[in-house]
Amino acid sequence: MPIYAPSLPPRANLTRSKSPIAVMARFDLTRIFRQKLGRFYGFVFLTILIIQISVLYTKYLVATQQGLEQLKGLADQLLPNQANFQASLLHSSMLLFLWLQAAIISGGLISRDTLYRIRPLIYAHPVRPLDYLASKALVAFGIPFCIQLPFIILPWLLSMLIAGLSGPVWPTAPLYLIPAAILNSIVMASVTLGASALAASPKSGMGWAVGLLIFPSAVGGILTKIFRDGSWMALSPIALTESWPEILCGVDNPTAPLWPTIIATALHIGLWAYVARRRTEPAEAVI
Amino acid sequence: MQVSRRRVDHKGDALISFQDLEVRYGPTIALKGLNLALEDGIVGLLGPNGSGKSTLLKTLLGLLKPYRGGGAVMGIPLDDAASLRLRATIGYMPEYDALIEDVSAYEQVAFWGELSGLNREQARDRSHEVLYFVGLDESRYRNVSGYSTGMRQRVKLAQALVHSPRLVFLDEPTNGLDPFGRRKMLELVLKVRSELSTSVILASHLLEDVERVSDQLVILDKGEIRASGKMADLRHILSKRFELRFLAPLTPEQEARLAEIGGLLENLNGLYDIELRETDASVPFKWAESAGAVLVQVTPRLDRLDEILIRAIRGTNA
Repeated sequence: MPIYAPSLPPRANLTRSKSPIAVMARFDLTRIFRQKLGRFYGFVFLTILIIQISVLYTKYLVATQQGLEQLKGLADQLLPNQANFQASLLHSSMLLFLWLQAAIISGGLISRDTLYRIRPLIYAHPVRPLDYLASKALVAFGIPFCIQLPFIILPWLLSMLIAGLSGPVWPTAPLYLIPAAILNSIVMASVTLGASALAASPKSGMGWAVGLLIFPSAVGGILTKIFRDGSWMALSPIALTESWPEILCGVDNPTAPLWPTIIATALHIGLWAYVARRRTEPAEAVI
Repeated sequence: MQVSRRRVDHKGDALISFQDLEVRYGPTIALKGLNLALEDGIVGLLGPNGSGKSTLLKTLLGLLKPYRGGGAVMGIPLDDAASLRLRATIGYMPEYDALIEDVSAYEQVAFWGELSGLNREQARDRSHEVLYFVGLDESRYRNVSGYSTGMRQRVKLAQALVHSPRLVFLDEPTNGLDPFGRRKMLELVLKVRSELSTSVILASHLLEDVERVSDQLVILDKGEIRASGKMADLRHILSKRFELRFLAPLTPEQEARLAEIGGLLENLNGLYDIELRETDASVPFKWAESAGAVLVQVTPRLDRLDEILIRAIRGTNA
């Protein structure tokens, strides 16, 4: 038997203090943290980070310890060097897990609202469709960016601390890698939000997101084989995120060349941002 | 193609007014040139499923753009520029669930409060207060996924009230509730009006619900207003309605003479449904005496609001 309050206290004064974008993004983040994805992915990313730092330290030891002189050749053969090493700080294995995590998290951002039919109710509040999309984009961009950041900053800091300017990580490496992480995060956010907007439930959102990763990658791979031209790999969002650190760090043979990477990045961002915007319009939400 | 929307003047004192309001879903006309002005209070928006009630509410919220015409809610015009301001002053309880299943009622009501313009602390305090007001006490900390239908409806009502709106739109608030739950929900609606001074637009296809709480009524069907007015006027009309039973069927001449005391609405095998010119039950007896008929029973038909609805929808004598 419910107990009812005698009445409701006097009306509250509306004191708008935060933008709806921040309110919705914070609410989504709270829900995401409750999914407890951090346990598995935290372990994975930490393991990869430890390996990266071990490689860095090994390179440092080989370069500085005279007793390890005979290992130098082997280390140069096995471990990436120069631009390749800088680009490998955002390692392809880390990026692949990051894509999977983005598919799980961001794939459910819009589709969860579709499933519970709360978008019309959101739009019944003083929220514009662009606010809604911006809040989702903020979360979808922010999470992968924040995860990539330690992979750039920690090795760079360690290198600077132990070896100064002549360490294995270039002093200027963050200037290349942070823009690469930003571009990667934008690509991840747009693809996964587009997938989420197409889906009717978080699970199908994840499915769509994984599909949007695998299908263009498969097509890109096939076309690369047929035409013997690596440019086609730019169709793959995964290859794009591998290419940007390589291109910005000046790797000789990046996964996909510069111009196809620029065009494909613009296409992916434009297409999926358009899909997400169209699918989250109020008219779409109420019919 | 959208016809150019002209800015429409509205009555300054009306809660809601609209003129020549037309809303379309593609080629389908959902609302056909509605003209109406509603005053403060509880307005019952009545009509069968698919009559355009929800479409009207969504248009008033600025979620759907009028194809033609326009209007104003609490003096705020229905146009893009003012839609955010309008929504900050309105609460909306949707017909369908629209609940975030994986969070508690307390958290989601606070979230809706923040979206409506309260700061975080205010929204949290208000969430407790409003959930207590609608009768969700300790259970407000539980995830909504475990709630009964009645509790879910109350959470929806709470989120509509959290920012203390001057006007709330309640779309089928008694949907799926048992008789006890329905009664409690309607009591809450009355409390919202009497204690919070909030005006209510109650959309429902259930006549009893609307009749119990509303003081104004709008009957919609197929996107058109079939009838509108104050419930007091409607009850006054109903107070003139009587069912007359005679000992023997009336002759055609006697039936024709019934027009002397009022309008004959229906003749069901000797049972005459009549609307008298005045609310005096002795008039039919006097008429029967003068017409040579034997009147054996006069039954007031205050309960026949449903017939008014049906007649309104059929477009006869609304």
